[in-house]
Amino acid sequence: MQWFIYVLNGLYFTAFIFLISLGLNIILGVMGILNLAHGSLYAIGAFMAAWVIITLSGLKGVPVPLLYISLISGALLAGFVGLIIERVLIRPMYGRALEYQLLITFGALLLFEDLIKLVWGGEAYYASQPFDILGKIQILGNAYPLYFLLVILVTLIVGSAVWVFITKTKMGIMLRALSLDREMATALGLEIDKLSTIAFVLGAALAGLAGSLIAPTTPVLLGFGMEPLILAFIVVVIGGLGSLKGAFIGSVIVGQIRSIGIVVFPEIELAILFLIAAVILVVKPEGLFGR
Amino acid sequence: MEKSRRNFLKITGGFAAGFVLTGCRQEQGKVVEERKAQIPKGPVRIAGVSFLTGVAASPFGIPGDNTFRMLVDIINQQGGILGRKIEFLSKDEAGGVDTQVKLARKLILDDRVDVILGYISSGDCEAVLPLSDEMGGLIVAYDCGTHKLMEGDSSPYSFPKYKLGFRSAAHLSIDNIGLALMIKKHFPNIKAIAGINPDYAWGRDSWAVFEAAIKKLMPNVEVVGTWWPPLFTTDYTAHISALIGAEPDIVHTSFWGGDAVTFTKQALGLGLFSKMRVAYSRGEPIPQEIGRDFPEGQIIGCAGPHYFLYPPPDKWPLNKWFVEEYSKRYGKYPTYPCYHAYQALYSYKAAVEKAGSIVGTWPTVEEVAKMMSGLSIQTPSGHLSIMENHDGIEDVVVGITKLTPKYPFPILDPIEVFPAHMVNPPVGIRTIDWINSWEV
Repeated sequence: MQWFIYVLNGLYFTAFIFLISLGLNIILGVMGILNLAHGSLYAIGAFMAAWVIITLSGLKGVPVPLLYISLISGALLAGFVGLIIERVLIRPMYGRALEYQLLITFGALLLFEDLIKLVWGGEAYYASQPFDILGKIQILGNAYPLYFLLVILVTLIVGSAVWVFITKTKMGIMLRALSLDREMATALGLEIDKLSTIAFVLGAALAGLAGSLIAPTTPVLLGFGMEPLILAFIVVVIGGLGSLKGAFIGSVIVGQIRSIGIVVFPEIELAILFLIAAVILVVKPEGLFGR
Repeated sequence: MEKSRRNFLKITGGFAAGFVLTGCRQEQGKVVEERKAQIPKGPVRIAGVSFLTGVAASPFGIPGDNTFRMLVDIINQQGGILGRKIEFLSKDEAGGVDTQVKLARKLILDDRVDVILGYISSGDCEAVLPLSDEMGGLIVAYDCGTHKLMEGDSSPYSFPKYKLGFRSAAHLSIDNIGLALMIKKHFPNIKAIAGINPDYAWGRDSWAVFEAAIKKLMPNVEVVGTWWPPLFTTDYTAHISALIGAEPDIVHTSFWGGDAVTFTKQALGLGLFSKMRVAYSRGEPIPQEIGRDFPEGQIIGCAGPHYFLYPPPDKWPLNKWFVEEYSKRYGKYPTYPCYHAYQALYSYKAAVEKAGSIVGTWPTVEEVAKMMSGLSIQTPSGHLSIMENHDGIEDVVVGITKLTPKYPFPILDPIEVFPAHMVNPPVGIRTIDWINSWEV
């Protein structure tokens, strides 16, 4: 039953990459901005959560559930930083050519690397307490860490909540209208600035949440945001630009192919993902579910 | 007549010889006086370049830098080197190869340092060491592990590659040959091995040396798989499950720092250690990093004979002193980068003092370099020799982890010490060629 564990590993990776690419896709879909600083928001979430967990763990009498609740801190800080980025850096770029947006978000990525170093220093943060405390369970004769199942569960809940928000609420419908036709939405009197801010903050908070959830499983260090940013781009290319369904399906494809690929083609574990993205770009440039 | 002629020759010859000798002595004395007058009044400027930020800072760079600072304080309290106090310039190795090349140029040309002791990354070592001859500055690599740093393209190769470039520690051959020897000695009945190594030169080279050595020593062992995750991977679950599925008896890895911690923690969660052992080529700092959760029975290399319990403190007072001094200052036991930092600083000090005792003054970089080649010193780990190819050679300690009530992390018990001649290639012969020449 080792294959069941491979699929579970793929689902865990799907969960982590889905949260990042969902945020990236919301910002891209609603605002038309390819946010290269998205990886920095993920890193900020991870550093914040790791710092809070380490601080709480050092205090006496802190109840264990608080360690898990504190994971939200990363999402909150990333959302707040997202608000500042949108107001200060992105807003003046509306209506300008794509190159300006790419340059400004790339500049933000470099800036945040240094800011992270300034705030949290250059050392790695080890905050594995939430991972260690939960321990492992036996699934069909194989050990599996409970924390990974928790990450999958949280992602399912958050993903469903975002889906309900986008498809069922008035605000979500306005966001979708904005993503479909910005000019028409403006003509209809929608508050474009406010909706853009909401989309950016939501996207940033999702990246921060992904960083928070990953923090207990690995040391958090400088340059932490690059790997997931690249993978999130692959998801967006495969799933489709600006599509929530695309982000989900793209994440499942990336997660499962990576998991199975590492078993079957260990020498080309990353190359195979890039190859699939390249094929999609040639055959269906808008992605599987893109517009 | 004959006698008087002989006497004349004796007398004139004696005069002539005396005159020449006196003249030489006077000339020599004049040179020494001139050179003594040239002794810089200020302190010796030593630059220490280690990762102070980024992923390699916590496990390697900061312990190495801490050790340099500690030892500089101690040497200065004892009067410095040939009476000159040390001014230590602590520099960050972060930023990549181009940044380090620029930094090394600045240190030698602008800051006029007497020596650079530095570099944890093999890439940085390979990029910076050629600058030693190019700019006339002494550079001592203290921790990087690539076996290619001083080797040529084929055997036998000419040496030294750099006149003013050195490494004061042994390279990765000792880690991986040491692991292979340990496996043969303690686990002679294994049937299958696998490898999981970071996908860059360090991981590829470490596996290549280990694979060559284990195939020579245990030809019936089968390699059932190799995995090459990118450096700084955050999710190893798929790799770990694949390893479990491949069912090796022992897994070889050269993971370090955060990668080693992440892999070990996730492997614990997925139950890997109940099914197989892991052999960590430079794993010595990891049990202390993870604590009591680090599993027992794992095979750990120490990057040389560098371990806080070896040589036993009661038999080797220098290790006792070093461990106590470091622990008192930094609240941790010294790990192998600390021992490497000691070797670099004290190699330089010994070479300067040796050269100084011959020339009677502060030696030039060329004179120091001459003394470093073939130098042998006592260190907290035993003895270090720097060979004619300007590379260090050392014994290697490999141990198996075991929990004890005394320490908050598993210690190495038992340990094996493989002597330098068993794990370091002869000067002039490439590591892989040497292993391939073994008749086992």
